[in-house]
Amino acid sequence: MERRRFLSLLGKGFLVSSVAGVFPTAAFGKTALDYALEGQNYLQNGDYNKALEALLKAVEIDPQSDWAYGLLGRTYRGLNKNAEAVDAFRKAVRLNPEDVYSRMMIEIITQKPIPRLKSEPEELTPLEITARQEESAMLTSLRSDEGLGYKVNRVVIDPGHGGFDSGALGYSGLKEKDVTLDLAIMLYQRMASQGKIKPFLTRTADYYVPLSDRTAIANQFQADLFLSIHINASKNRNARGSETYYCSEKASNQEAARVASLENAVLKYDKPLTQREGYIDIEEILFRFEQKMNWKESGVFAGSFQQRFREKLPLDNRGVNAANFFVLRRAKMPSILLEIGFISNAEDEERLKGQSFRERVVESIMWGLL
Amino acid sequence: MSDDIVKSPYAALRFTLRHCGVRVSTPHSSGFTRLASGAFYFVVSMMTFYEFIMSKRRRFPRSFLYGLTLCILFVLLLPLMPACHGAFAADVNDIIFRGADYHYKGKLNEAIAAFQQAVRLAPDNEFAHNQLGLLYAKKERDGDAFREFSTVVQLDRRNTFALLWTGILYLKQNDMDKAFEAFQEVTSLDPNNADAYYFLGAIYNFRHHPVKAIEYLKKARDADSGEADTHYRLGRAFHRLDMINNAYLEYTRALKLKPAYTKAINEIGWIYYNQGNYQAAIDQWNNALSINPKDTDAISNLAKVYNDMAYVALSQNKTDDAIAFWKATLSVMPGNKAARYYLDSYRR
Ligand SMILES: [Zn+2]
Repeated sequence: MERRRFLSLLGKGFLVSSVAGVFPTAAFGKTALDYALEGQNYLQNGDYNKALEALLKAVEIDPQSDWAYGLLGRTYRGLNKNAEAVDAFRKAVRLNPEDVYSRMMIEIITQKPIPRLKSEPEELTPLEITARQEESAMLTSLRSDEGLGYKVNRVVIDPGHGGFDSGALGYSGLKEKDVTLDLAIMLYQRMASQGKIKPFLTRTADYYVPLSDRTAIANQFQADLFLSIHINASKNRNARGSETYYCSEKASNQEAARVASLENAVLKYDKPLTQREGYIDIEEILFRFEQKMNWKESGVFAGSFQQRFREKLPLDNRGVNAANFFVLRRAKMPSILLEIGFISNAEDEERLKGQSFRERVVESIMWGLL
Repeated sequence: MSDDIVKSPYAALRFTLRHCGVRVSTPHSSGFTRLASGAFYFVVSMMTFYEFIMSKRRRFPRSFLYGLTLCILFVLLLPLMPACHGAFAADVNDIIFRGADYHYKGKLNEAIAAFQQAVRLAPDNEFAHNQLGLLYAKKERDGDAFREFSTVVQLDRRNTFALLWTGILYLKQNDMDKAFEAFQEVTSLDPNNADAYYFLGAIYNFRHHPVKAIEYLKKARDADSGEADTHYRLGRAFHRLDMINNAYLEYTRALKLKPAYTKAINEIGWIYYNQGNYQAAIDQWNNALSINPKDTDAISNLAKVYNDMAYVALSQNKTDDAIAFWKATLSVMPGNKAARYYLDSYRR
């Protein structure tokens, strides 16, 4: 074939193909790819409305085309429809997580407020209908206090020891487990009759409850405060008075560490949480924040109880201490441990035996909650 | 907007073509199409020109034809010059794109270097500062992160992303009041900000204000229903008020989004247990253990209820049943002191 003739044929062929490119419908039924390419061309020329029309057709035919969704995102961005743009870019990233550009665009746009996309209301399930009825019945009657002060509505009362674990023993034979159970039941009855605070008990009779069960009970009832009642003991028979403990990573002093190890019995600490580099775990930040807040709040409660003991009980004031108690650490709410007198001290033991003293103890705990 | 690194969708295309390896190699990519059509034009033009030279070679001196060829070549290649130039002289947009690419690929040091360069070239670029802040936070350089986010907030108070992150950094410092204030400001600027509502609801939950927590977590849920954590925390708030239907509904929504969400499974277990449906509760906690055999809550919940059931059996003189329950306790928690002691005492 002559070169010139070949070239003219080639030229005609090119003309046909470019006509097909611009008006592809004239040649074939259009595919998603055709629409996407068409949309891309319009996008390049700044004709966003036409680009939108073509790209919407492209994603309608092929909803799996991340490329078309990426173009759609850009088109919406050009039309200043940021919510729609983010939606399209999200679809692109969902289909192709390596789409750096779309991901970056989502982050750029969502730095600032964008309007919300309207969504179709869905039909309610039977559970959703029941839940709504429950909500309208309950929430209208409930009012929340203002401010961020800690609220206590449910208290788990934990009588220390029990069953084969007698706790500390007095020289006249008084057992810690019996005194704590009696105090706990009295406190429970007092709270229940007063009605402001809902009480729960970790044990109601003389049986042993392991430490992990006690915190499980606090979690079972979504308690706001965990109150563990104990009586102290020491080899030194002169040691006497009341003290209050709360959980902290470090013991406030050697004596606090000793008491913690005495009460812990079975020590089992969780491993410290580790942070993966390059990854921010928001839930872990919240978990740590909650734990710190609970510990701080525990310190506040401990101070309040100890102050009432000092004011209302004829016991020496040994103050507030922090230590790492298993029973306090695992609870998901502020938790404190009261050591009400020394069973190993003759005078304290004598007091602990008396019903009127026990009533005063309950009274001061109630005051400490206020 | 000054932080927009991409001024027009066209520039966006340029970015994708130059940087996304995935895109350039795909046959439907516009880069490929443009390159192919460019080459086609070029070849056709050169062949036509060759025909022309060949036909005129006797009428013009050879040196003139050579010169003309060079001139035409130059004219044809001229449009490619800016592209070549652009490829070498990296502008701030390129640096930002590169930084984002590094960031998403987990190359934090390279990403930090890129964004540091970007903020030197464009100190007002909010996106670059935000990315740098996020990267510093990932490297636990919270002080540096805070500085970057504060810079953005100073550049534009409406940059809710930066404001939200200052709140998160306050949370890390256990400064509840300042965190709360930051999140509240975000919601006043952006009434659809699910994240800010979520943090506010979570803080109210931590303060055991379930009514307020419900108010905010519902807003978070309605702004973005796709977060399992929002449903879980909302469930906890309802649970605290004994609104069991709502609690159960939100826990199941969390599980629909994240089937391995053992915290929600464990709470559903308590709902069943407190209703007296012990077997359903046990099934839930066993399910949690099948997902995570070390789930401490599921373990201690199971141990607690098996022990409870053993005490009940014992009080009804069903010693064999009690023994079976204590064995069950030990199967999930071998160190459980109560089960071990009572099993030793009652085993014949
Ligand atoms: Zn004790």
